[in-house]
Amino acid sequence: MSALIAKFYPMLIVDNLSRFIFWAILLFGALIAVYSFRFMKEKEGLAKYYLYLIFTIIASLGVVLSNNLILLLVFWGFLGFTLYSLINIEASASATAKKTLIIVGGTDTLMLLGIAIIWNLSQTFRIDQMRIALDQPIAVFAYILLACACFAKAGALPFHSWVPDCAKDAPLPVVALLPASLDKLLGIYLLVRLSLNIFVMNNAMNLFLMIVGAVTIVAAVIMALVQHDLKRLLGYHAVSQVGYMVLGIGTGSLIGIAGSIFHMLNNAIYKSCLFLTAGDVESQTKTTDLDMLGGLAKFMPITFAGALIASFSISGVPPFNGFVSKWMIYQGLVERIAAQKTVVISVLCLLAAMFGSALTLASFMKLIHAAFLGTEGAHKKVSEVHWTMWLPVMILALLCAVFGIFAKQIPLNKFVFPAVGAGEFVGFWASSWATLLILFGILIGFLIYFLGNTKGLIREDNNYIGGGAVGQDERVSGVDFYNAIRELKFFKYLYKKEEGKYFDIYEQGKNLLGFVGKLFQFLHNGVLPTYLVWALLGTAVLFLTLIR
Amino acid sequence: MHNPFFVTYFVIIPLLSAFLISIIGKYVKHRYVEMVASISCFLLLVFSLQGLNILRKASDSVLVYKLGGWALPFGICMVFDGLAGFMLFTVNLIAFLICLYSINYMEKYTDKPKFFTLFFLMLTGMNGLIITGDLFNLFVFLEVASISSYALVAFGTEAEELEASFKYAIMGSVASCFIFLGIALLYGFASTLNMADMANVLSTKPSNWLIPFVSVLFLMGFGLKAALVPFHGWLPDAHSSAPASISAMLSGVLIKTLGLYALMRIFFNVLGVSGIYLSALMFLGALSIIVALVLAVVQWDIKRLLAYSTISQIGYIVLGIGLGTPLGILGGLFHLFNHSTSKSLLFLNAGAVDYSINTRDLREMSGLKQKMPVTANTNLIGSVAISGIPPFHGFFSKLIIVLACIQRGFIGYALAAVIGSLLTLSAVMKMQRYAFLGELKEQYKNIKEVPFLMKFSMSCLAIICIVGGILLLPNLKFFLDSAVNVILEGRDYGRLVMEASIR
Repeated sequence: MSALIAKFYPMLIVDNLSRFIFWAILLFGALIAVYSFRFMKEKEGLAKYYLYLIFTIIASLGVVLSNNLILLLVFWGFLGFTLYSLINIEASASATAKKTLIIVGGTDTLMLLGIAIIWNLSQTFRIDQMRIALDQPIAVFAYILLACACFAKAGALPFHSWVPDCAKDAPLPVVALLPASLDKLLGIYLLVRLSLNIFVMNNAMNLFLMIVGAVTIVAAVIMALVQHDLKRLLGYHAVSQVGYMVLGIGTGSLIGIAGSIFHMLNNAIYKSCLFLTAGDVESQTKTTDLDMLGGLAKFMPITFAGALIASFSISGVPPFNGFVSKWMIYQGLVERIAAQKTVVISVLCLLAAMFGSALTLASFMKLIHAAFLGTEGAHKKVSEVHWTMWLPVMILALLCAVFGIFAKQIPLNKFVFPAVGAGEFVGFWASSWATLLILFGILIGFLIYFLGNTKGLIREDNNYIGGGAVGQDERVSGVDFYNAIRELKFFKYLYKKEEGKYFDIYEQGKNLLGFVGKLFQFLHNGVLPTYLVWALLGTAVLFLTLIR
Repeated sequence: MHNPFFVTYFVIIPLLSAFLISIIGKYVKHRYVEMVASISCFLLLVFSLQGLNILRKASDSVLVYKLGGWALPFGICMVFDGLAGFMLFTVNLIAFLICLYSINYMEKYTDKPKFFTLFFLMLTGMNGLIITGDLFNLFVFLEVASISSYALVAFGTEAEELEASFKYAIMGSVASCFIFLGIALLYGFASTLNMADMANVLSTKPSNWLIPFVSVLFLMGFGLKAALVPFHGWLPDAHSSAPASISAMLSGVLIKTLGLYALMRIFFNVLGVSGIYLSALMFLGALSIIVALVLAVVQWDIKRLLAYSTISQIGYIVLGIGLGTPLGILGGLFHLFNHSTSKSLLFLNAGAVDYSINTRDLREMSGLKQKMPVTANTNLIGSVAISGIPPFHGFFSKLIIVLACIQRGFIGYALAAVIGSLLTLSAVMKMQRYAFLGELKEQYKNIKEVPFLMKFSMSCLAIICIVGGILLLPNLKFFLDSAVNVILEGRDYGRLVMEASIR
């Protein structure tokens, strides 16, 4: 394959970074396609769906292989269009589709401006010939413009607001494919390219990225905590996880960048796994409202296993893959602190990342409990999904485990370290040994459980109130525990603002535009003399300015 | 050497058809009128393709036809060069497709022969303006096209249409006055009306006051015809009141021919202006982009929304051309072509919606995609093309314009272009969302997709929107390059035309 691509040099190029993302895109594309066979069966416009799916995959491959910024922009922008069309497969999602296209397409035009500036600075469109120092304001401006496009695609703040909406309204395989995996891969891919190849990073830009990352982690995870809808909850986590990747790149140290590339891969794996399990739940119970769900573990054991593993993984529980990459990102931050580079901010970012990780665990406890454990929800007794729907889940869950346990041997040495051009790190997490220890610990636990004669100590019974069985309307769903957070003083304010779309750049832009538009409309009153006055005034100004 | 006689066909054919249709229209069936109209539009398209073929062989070719055989500068001449070839192709391509569309669409109205008469008179005016080599002739053709467009805007003869037409006519006449004054001053100074001769005279006989003064007059006059902010007041009314096929014609080609082409020809090839006037053009362009788009986003009438967006897209073209660099002019002209096709397409879509459900208010429609898939899909293509989503053709022209702005160091203008792109996207996506997506309303359960010819023209334009980017490929780039070179040659135009006229 490399030989084929080499023929198209200098338009296309393949290196260690793009190679593994290339295969990752193909893997996710294939898994989602398999998943869609069953899930999308009853939808209309299937031919269109698969056509756009294929377009999406081709364009994504094009992005990672492009060596020419214009070519990259063409593929990149086309992805916004395919995403729009894919969301529109769901007839009721047109508002979300519009919002998505405007945020993603709008930042693409910013990227266009950034590319134009880069072209003017370096006189070339070829990525492999660029090394631009961030020493003049215009270069910094270009970097920020391109970074905005990456943030919007990956879903970092302040361009995140399309992701949760999209997660809720769009057809599920589309969410699992684009916002959850491919868009993350591509957004972070380009951010890494920008930071490693195209620009020479300086400390200020690193700080910028770190702050964006840290804020994204915490803000999104706080929002995720109180969501009542399974898909929307996952959507906010899709935003929050991007924070880690941006933060990792911002550390500027090799282990941090390697960590964020690894996290990008891991996130794509567990996040699409989680979305697919959400799809399983949706297809069997016809709802994703956590208040309505419960006790699904009995009926859908395979889905439950997949969701559990992916949840552990996303919350950074060892030995799964999410832990390893988060660990590497923390290491990058610690390295900064050790090197006395902007210690205060680095410590704050480290705290934010750890805090975010804890809250992630908290919100996934809620998810697992509310959907799979606890008492049965409003749904009927359901069965496990068709094998084409659990197989992708299982493959992804397996990858979560394998990439965690053999982190060093498989993903890091094969994909990640070659991509950033680095080898050993001090203080590395010896995942295989740790896994053995964990397994050993679990084994001991089991031994105590079985040999320690705990039988008489525990009594199991059904829930009851006043001696009677708990009715459906009195049932305590897993969600209610977390409502306490909503009532905290500061959070109450925050949630109110967020629900009023106060932090949504799209809604704010719309309001601003509406205001300015009203102002201009006032000047366009439809009366001929007004227009004539405008025209003649304009002429007078032209005369005054142009004739000396 | 090619026989330059073929350039006269661009005036003869539409003029003849206009009269023919007006004479026979009363006595024959409408079918024959339609046949005459489509055949002559097709012939015009073929001749403009022949013109392109000449340019393909030699992109710097200049053909001069001398009316009555009088030598230049005494006689009136018609000049075919790269820029004219480019414009002729654009105009006649759009005219052909719109003519086909009108055959079905104009069933809504009563008097088809009158419509086609006016249509062809307008086309005569535009084609004549493009190929003429004489400044006064240019004014005459300008008025022919303008007056027939005033009549066409009022074609529905309802209160709204008449008011719009009245506004348009008054403001258009003011602009014509300014243009006429400018031409008179130039004639008084140079004692010639032939554009080539005038270019030669002006380059040998310098004048401190004339060129600045005349430039401002033309800037206002043609600026009003092209609807640059702040001269745009007439456009939203006129373009939204006209029959949809005429709106498409007005937005797609008329304002570009009457305003931009005439401005470019006179500014670059006759007056040879530069510096501060081009800066003024750029400023007006950037202003138009932003102001008009903000207004476009808040509209609820489809055609008003599109009309405001037209003003902004004219801003892009003017911004590109005002840069004065080869890259900028290339971007501007390419955007001119792209906007002609995509905006005509969008207006035709609006017409198709109007044809089916008799309203232009976005709030009253919903889910029309289920019943009108062709309209909805072509509208999607036109929308993303006009807002510059790759790989549709609008992307490439915007890219070139932004690159050219950065190349000259105008980051502010580049930013305006970029923000404009975002706003365009919001405006056209509003149309997509409210008109075509969502749930179908109960009262529209029985509507049908529009007739074949309307679908045909919309599909053709959509295909052009998809593949338009290929015009930048080396084999096809002559189409744009020959036009760019004509603008870049400046007042050399005079010498080249004189030489070509003797051959």
